[in-house]
Amino acid sequence: MANLNTRSVSQRSFDAIVVGSGISGGWAAKELTEKGLNTLMLERGRDVRHLVDYPTTNKYPWEFEHRGQVPYDVQQANPVVSRCYAFREDAMHFFVKDQEHPYIQEKPFDWIRGYQVGGKSLLWARQTQRWSDFDFEGPARDGFSVDWPIRYKDLAPWYSYVEKFAGISGNRDGLVNLPDGDFLPGFPLNDVESYFSKFVNKKYPGRNVISARCAHLSEPKDIHLQQGRAQCQQRVLCQRGCPFGGYFSSNASTIPWALKTGKLTLRPHSVVQEIIYDDKQNKATGVRIVDTETKEVIEYYAKIIFVNAAAINSNLILLNSKSARFPNGLGNDSGVLGKYVAFHNYRARISAEYDGFMDWTTDGRNPAGGGYIPRFRNLYKQETDFLRGYAAGFSAHRASEVDYKGVGESLKNNLANRKIGNWRVGSHMMGETIPKETNNVSLDAGKKDAWGVPLLKINIGYDENDEKMVKDYIEQMTDMFTSAGFKNIQANDSKQSPGLDIHEMGGARMGNDPKTSILNKWNQVHECKNVFVTDGACMTSTSTQNPSLTYMALTARAVNYAVEEMKKLNS
Amino acid sequence: MTENRTIDRRTLLKNLGLVIGGTILLPSCLRSDDTASIRLKHLTISGSQEKLLAEVAETIIPKTNTPGAKDLSLHLFVMKMVDDCYGTADQKSFENGISLLDAEAEKTHDKPFVQCSKSQREALLNSIDTKLQLSKQNKTETAGADTRNDLFAFFEIMKGNTVLGYTNSKYFMTKQVVYELIPGRYNAHFSVTNKSVVKNG
Repeated sequence: MANLNTRSVSQRSFDAIVVGSGISGGWAAKELTEKGLNTLMLERGRDVRHLVDYPTTNKYPWEFEHRGQVPYDVQQANPVVSRCYAFREDAMHFFVKDQEHPYIQEKPFDWIRGYQVGGKSLLWARQTQRWSDFDFEGPARDGFSVDWPIRYKDLAPWYSYVEKFAGISGNRDGLVNLPDGDFLPGFPLNDVESYFSKFVNKKYPGRNVISARCAHLSEPKDIHLQQGRAQCQQRVLCQRGCPFGGYFSSNASTIPWALKTGKLTLRPHSVVQEIIYDDKQNKATGVRIVDTETKEVIEYYAKIIFVNAAAINSNLILLNSKSARFPNGLGNDSGVLGKYVAFHNYRARISAEYDGFMDWTTDGRNPAGGGYIPRFRNLYKQETDFLRGYAAGFSAHRASEVDYKGVGESLKNNLANRKIGNWRVGSHMMGETIPKETNNVSLDAGKKDAWGVPLLKINIGYDENDEKMVKDYIEQMTDMFTSAGFKNIQANDSKQSPGLDIHEMGGARMGNDPKTSILNKWNQVHECKNVFVTDGACMTSTSTQNPSLTYMALTARAVNYAVEEMKKLNS
Repeated sequence: MTENRTIDRRTLLKNLGLVIGGTILLPSCLRSDDTASIRLKHLTISGSQEKLLAEVAETIIPKTNTPGAKDLSLHLFVMKMVDDCYGTADQKSFENGISLLDAEAEKTHDKPFVQCSKSQREALLNSIDTKLQLSKQNKTETAGADTRNDLFAFFEIMKGNTVLGYTNSKYFMTKQVVYELIPGRYNAHFSVTNKSVVKNG
């Protein structure tokens, strides 16, 4: 029973509520508060303050009890999160443990979550690429999902807007399929990456290997210094939280910026159960939360609500927001809520060796991680027996060779005298998956979590299109590697479950038609205009780009629209 | 960037118990010669077995004009890792392997491992290492040795973690192959002649 008397209604009333503090929630809070709105940000996890709450950030390898390894008991108790590449001793504390927040896997799905202020923006891989119209026009051209209600021109200025503030490093490559942005200087490709780039460009017209674009301050500008952030120091220990603010996170950037306006109230330990809909006013009036520390149920009220709980949890909140008007979840007259969820297919990898450039190596570390191959498959027209395509990472490094033979003084000497080994090259795929009604999330009818919220059932799997794409990626990359002279080529299909890509998207998709979509072109719930969803849940299709930059741009654009509309109503 | 380095190491040792690098190993409550000197959750290691492990680690990484395994308490690190980062089956193999090593020493040199000379110890471990490597290469058993035996499982875990502990020790990472917490640079085109040793990380 809601305890409505603890604080007066006026104390619990705001202009805007933002649900979630991750990469998109942080942007919503920044934009809303900068526009003068008194904003409440709700975060289900604990607070993580920039610099203060990064306990491992300055630790040396020998200062970790298990030198980076996750103890056996922890792995056994947490099989899902243990499969995530970044779940290591230095960042374990930023991940949700399996048992803490259970969900029902109708099909295997590795749901990787970060419940804390900043969410997964602390942990993300920081790769940032713009979409182009080849991406936005995908569903319409290839006849799947629904048409995106926006095109590149709608988002382009907002990409620029968020890039300038977040700080995105990259080169102006002039590619039609991967528009240039407002970049800080890009990180360079090394000799073998650069060789492969030139080779591919010449031998495979239409295919490109560029320096990966990433949210790192290669050369900070005044706007970044104003945020208290400094130049990236190439530590590449980002998952611990950065003491320099060298990469973009809500914690280092948007949240402190929003707090500085004096308009933001940040409330951690607040699980949103549902959005409150008022049948008389025909709009949402607020949210109902549980304080995870006191177990108190509290209602907060606002004129507009931004739902940024991360793709799957935003679906969960909308599905659980039931009223006389919306018995199947907020804004769900169409019945598509929770459906057409998609993700990125990260199953395949390929590696090889190269014996050129033996006089050259690298020194220091590359925060961008190397190269990026934008989607080239089915770009201008359908040319394969599967829909859409994949982007890929590409990187090269020189391995160090250590002779581990035997014991004693010779071994001891060998360990200290490492030889520079061959160049090793590697690539991984990032494939577009096709949203389908059968890939969905829903609420369990009976089981509830510790906060009284129904458990989520996740029913998401690969299809034949994905299988064909894995095969094609391996074939194409093998061909490109072979003709580039790379040796000892080894391809691998990990068959990893969906979810481990951490790029789940959709469920509350944008579209022109309220009969087939949940959100309109402003990320506004068609049938409940004061609720906006601007995280991964809004995605009509996934394309192949790392999605965070697009969430940031969509969020800033949606806030701008929302505030303009509020002004019109008031005037 | 870390404050710990300014604290006198000896003071730290005295105040906090046994320290390896930055890791504090809690002393076990009941200290006697028959129990291990650090608190273990899963492993059963006696005091004399701990002494044996110290000698094995020292044989793998001996003291030369630079610190060896005993100086760096690497055997305690191995015990900690086996206790925390391995499953029950591996832990049992490790425990069993300790006595099998002594049996092997008796067989070869007519005395327990700790009483063997330095060169006898090295010869023994090198022979186990060679058999293990051969069996991995051939994926068959070699020279009559069943390398599925717990002796080999023990040796593999022992050597792997002694090396891990050594190459990740503060000593090694500051004096041998220097680890840089804050490189502050990325040179994508760098001559190998400028790089006499491979930097870590």
